[in-house]
Amino acid sequence: MTSPGLATACAAMLRRDLTLAWRRRGDIAMPVLYALIVTMLFPFALGPEDTLLQRIAGGVVLVTVLLAMLLALDAMFSSDIEDGSLEQLVLAPRPLALMLGMKILAHWITTALPLIVIAPLLAGMLHLPGAVMPVLLLALLLATPLLSLLGAVLVALTAGTRRSGMLLALMLLPLCVPAVIFAAGAVAAAQQGLPWLAPLAWLGAALALAVVLAPLACAAALRIALDA
Amino acid sequence: MSSLQTFLAMGGYAAYVWPAYAVFFAVLIADSVAPRLRRRRVLRELRARLVRQSTRQNQARQSREPAHPTSSPP
Amino acid sequence: MASWIPLWLHKLGSPPTFYRFAGTLRPWMLALALLFGLIGLYGGLVLAPPDYQQGDAYRIIFIHVPSAWMSMFIYGVMGMAAFIALVWRIKLAEVVAMESAPIGAAFTFITLVTGSLWGKPMWGTWWTWDARLTSELVLLFLYLGVIGLYHAFEDRRQGARAAAFLAIIGIINVPIVHFSVNWWNTLHQGSTVNLFGPSSIVWAMLWPLLCMTLATKFYYAASLFRRVRTDLLALEGGKDWVRKIAESEA
Repeated sequence: MTSPGLATACAAMLRRDLTLAWRRRGDIAMPVLYALIVTMLFPFALGPEDTLLQRIAGGVVLVTVLLAMLLALDAMFSSDIEDGSLEQLVLAPRPLALMLGMKILAHWITTALPLIVIAPLLAGMLHLPGAVMPVLLLALLLATPLLSLLGAVLVALTAGTRRSGMLLALMLLPLCVPAVIFAAGAVAAAQQGLPWLAPLAWLGAALALAVVLAPLACAAALRIALDA
Repeated sequence: MSSLQTFLAMGGYAAYVWPAYAVFFAVLIADSVAPRLRRRRVLRELRARLVRQSTRQNQARQSREPAHPTSSPP
Repeated sequence: MASWIPLWLHKLGSPPTFYRFAGTLRPWMLALALLFGLIGLYGGLVLAPPDYQQGDAYRIIFIHVPSAWMSMFIYGVMGMAAFIALVWRIKLAEVVAMESAPIGAAFTFITLVTGSLWGKPMWGTWWTWDARLTSELVLLFLYLGVIGLYHAFEDRRQGARAAAFLAIIGIINVPIVHFSVNWWNTLHQGSTVNLFGPSSIVWAMLWPLLCMTLATKFYYAASLFRRVRTDLLALEGGKDWVRKIAESEA
């Protein structure tokens, strides 16, 4: 008997997580609804003036997407810990980091991608100029995987604890400050007609680094947290 | 104006300088008092545990010593 | 030649030895902290002349700057201890890392409060979004995250290892945050504050500052020793040496 190859294992992992997510479609809609509601609150709180909303639109969309992702992060490993399949994964004769990378990818597809899809709608509600929209989408495409990867490391660290919701926010906040700064900076620069490529390049560099390092860190963190 | 008063006035900045020093000392005193209290608590718990252990050992010895052991399971 | 040094270090890593070592050293550390603190305070509050630009408000420097240095120094110590704890699984390193965090958070808090008390008369505002202040705030959140994660675990040692991992991630993060906030500042052209302008600090102001820096360093050592000793007692509760201490100290 030969064990299936690494690519097959990765594909199986990805398919499994996506299938599980699809069977609970309602959960996918939750972050999207949350982002919509939060964005709707801003005009009520600040008044409906076009100029003010335009100025804050990029930042509000970014922070809203970040908060929505934070809400969904907690669930990344929780069901797998409950039914013990995460421990099986740790024991499996496959590189844990690669398998976790697949899980993170599946999580990004199910939570961040829907948010990116409705981001133009959110930005439109706040009257973000259409010309800036591609920059916003590009910034989100680079920033959300970064947040998923960073978040996965922290979720893995809290895997052995009971209460982790607020703690996760407290831990993620300092780590995501640079991502928010560069993503929002690119949008703001595009809005002012300044070159916006540099901050996006920084985001891309950070993402490239995170894609390599975060799954390894995630695996190490999970080993620590499940050690007991 | 006496020299102490000029010192306390801090050239008009007393409202900023003295609270800053007060915060500095308050936080550091809190930082040194907290472990002192914790140490006292830890030692109290340790002693309580020692007392429990010794009483349990005494009880075990007494239950082993009686001359007529009541029905003991084989 | 000096083959006794690794042996000595190895012995120092064992809890009972460190407990005794820290116990004998702690009073001296505290005494040195008080001595340097009193000299520094006298020099800073009484002897040093008022600044020609800032008047007497600059005297906050004697607590603000040492605290800011300590907030970073303690994070460095915590990071190093965390690294040792994760690589060699030394119990003492875990305890040192975890007990450094509250002291570091305390100094970071002092830095933020004294900084805004200094900023109000000088810049006319309690808070400005400049790179140094924002990094310090992020540092406070990092400390709080480490403390929170440590206490979220029921098993102390497991919590210490998880929090040590977080501390190491944080060490990588701090320079990135500083760099990104700097970049952000140039984009927004905010109020650029230059606290230490081209003027070099004079000796009468410098030596109290150095004294206070030494005082905070010694204070950290004293506080850390007390905290580590207590933690070792709690962690090693069932062992013989702890039992003897519990019986002898009323």
